[in-house]
Amino acid sequence: MRSLPDEVVQVEHVSKEFILHHNRVDSLKGKVVGLFKDRWRTHHEHFQALSDVSFTVRRGEAIGLMGRNGSGKSTLLQVIAGILKPTSGRVITRGRVAPLIELGVGFHPELTGEENVYLNASLYGFRNKDVRGRFDDIVEFSELAHFIDTPVKNYSSGMYMRLAFAIAVHLEPDVLLADEILAVGDAAFQEKCHDRIASLRRNGMSIVLVSHNEQQVRDFCNSFVRLDGGRVVETGTFRTKTAHTR
Amino acid sequence: MAKTLEHIPLTGPSVSGLRSLLAYSDMLRNFVRKDIQVRYQGAALGFLWSLINPLVMIGLYVFVFSDVFKSNLPNYPLYLMAGLLHWNLFSQITGQSCDTLLANAGLVKKIYFPRLLVPISSVVFNVVLWLLAIVLLFILYPFLGGKLHPVLMAYPVVLLFFLAFTFGITLILSVLNVLFRDLKHLVDVILLFLFWVTPIVYQYHRIPPHLRQLFAVSPLVDYVLIFRGILYSGQLPSWHILAMAAAWTVASLTIGLFVFNRYADSLVERL
Repeated sequence: MRSLPDEVVQVEHVSKEFILHHNRVDSLKGKVVGLFKDRWRTHHEHFQALSDVSFTVRRGEAIGLMGRNGSGKSTLLQVIAGILKPTSGRVITRGRVAPLIELGVGFHPELTGEENVYLNASLYGFRNKDVRGRFDDIVEFSELAHFIDTPVKNYSSGMYMRLAFAIAVHLEPDVLLADEILAVGDAAFQEKCHDRIASLRRNGMSIVLVSHNEQQVRDFCNSFVRLDGGRVVETGTFRTKTAHTR
Repeated sequence: MAKTLEHIPLTGPSVSGLRSLLAYSDMLRNFVRKDIQVRYQGAALGFLWSLINPLVMIGLYVFVFSDVFKSNLPNYPLYLMAGLLHWNLFSQITGQSCDTLLANAGLVKKIYFPRLLVPISSVVFNVVLWLLAIVLLFILYPFLGGKLHPVLMAYPVVLLFFLAFTFGITLILSVLNVLFRDLKHLVDVILLFLFWVTPIVYQYHRIPPHLRQLFAVSPLVDYVLIFRGILYSGQLPSWHILAMAAAWTVASLTIGLFVFNRYADSLVERL
């Protein structure tokens, strides 16, 4: 067991302001013309995506970020992942954080499944020697043993997702940041995904799940944070813990 | 839990600097390997293609300058290669640098890793392709009229400084290109211009004296003179050329790292 402090994710008074560039001009020509013609000028507008958001995720806890489209939940996930910097406030994460914001990020279509496993895992900061040790498990989980040495451009979208998911859940993250995705493939494979996540959670993995699907959050999470217009409007726990237990 | 992995905190503002870069060294390796593999996929000659372009270029310049213009320089092919190969290295890296962040936008917006790895991997990729050419130069060196002298030992150090200089430029361009997407076209024009105002195919002293001071402002002139001094004439140029080259490197690297660290994070929003 690793000796991590109990709070694996601490979000403290995080605000994020975007600048919307209306009529955005990203060229030198445009900037020069903009000096003379108003139509070519960029107009800025400040947009508050998150205001003063705070919450804590403890070890082994699964928290659901709920809210409608545009409520700021995906932005918050990107801030926790370190991809976006908050305008004010801070985020402290402890341990290995694996963002599962989009499956198969960094897959190159021309490379084989095997090469993509190493490439993808290294994007999460894994050494090749560590990946080698769990390569067989990844392939077995994805059920792609027969295709692992062919380029992923020949994969069906289901195969692609299975491989990407298999990699993510075999990196044994301390915190999994998921945007709607917690299972892929057909019913049987989805079952396998759920089992894998349940077993990772028993070993202390925390989950931050972004979803607008209340049932999905109830199935996986023991607490939730509801966002609206970038603010926390409700927090709570699910008393009837229905987190996937079998 | 099975064998626990070495603990690498991936995200958070507290993690930065050299240690986190080292943790990602395998990513760099996989990245460069991917780029090379993808580039030469299905090409029968594979890696050799990276050699064919400079060889043809050298052949043509040798023909034009020794047969058409009747240059009287001894060992003109060596003279040319010493300058041209290093010019190629510079122009390939900087020519590509504009695209690096944009080309990897999908990655940068979805996963956090030290952003510096994007320009680093682009530089390493180009250096690997270029290595074949410089190895060939050293194999042919005695046959081209090159002599073994102690000055050659300075070569690795100068090359390192030259790469650091180029890297600094790369950092600046990769950031600027996100803000001005048409920068690449401007860079291509500047590279063409720089090639001809740098004494690569012709001799420095052929430049009219009143223009020479203007030419000497270019850091590439300094570096080409140094590389040619080492590989062709067997002596280092005057100390103030060396000092100027070093100063350019320090300036380019300092500004480049500052600009990149300052803006790389906020650029994610504009990609």
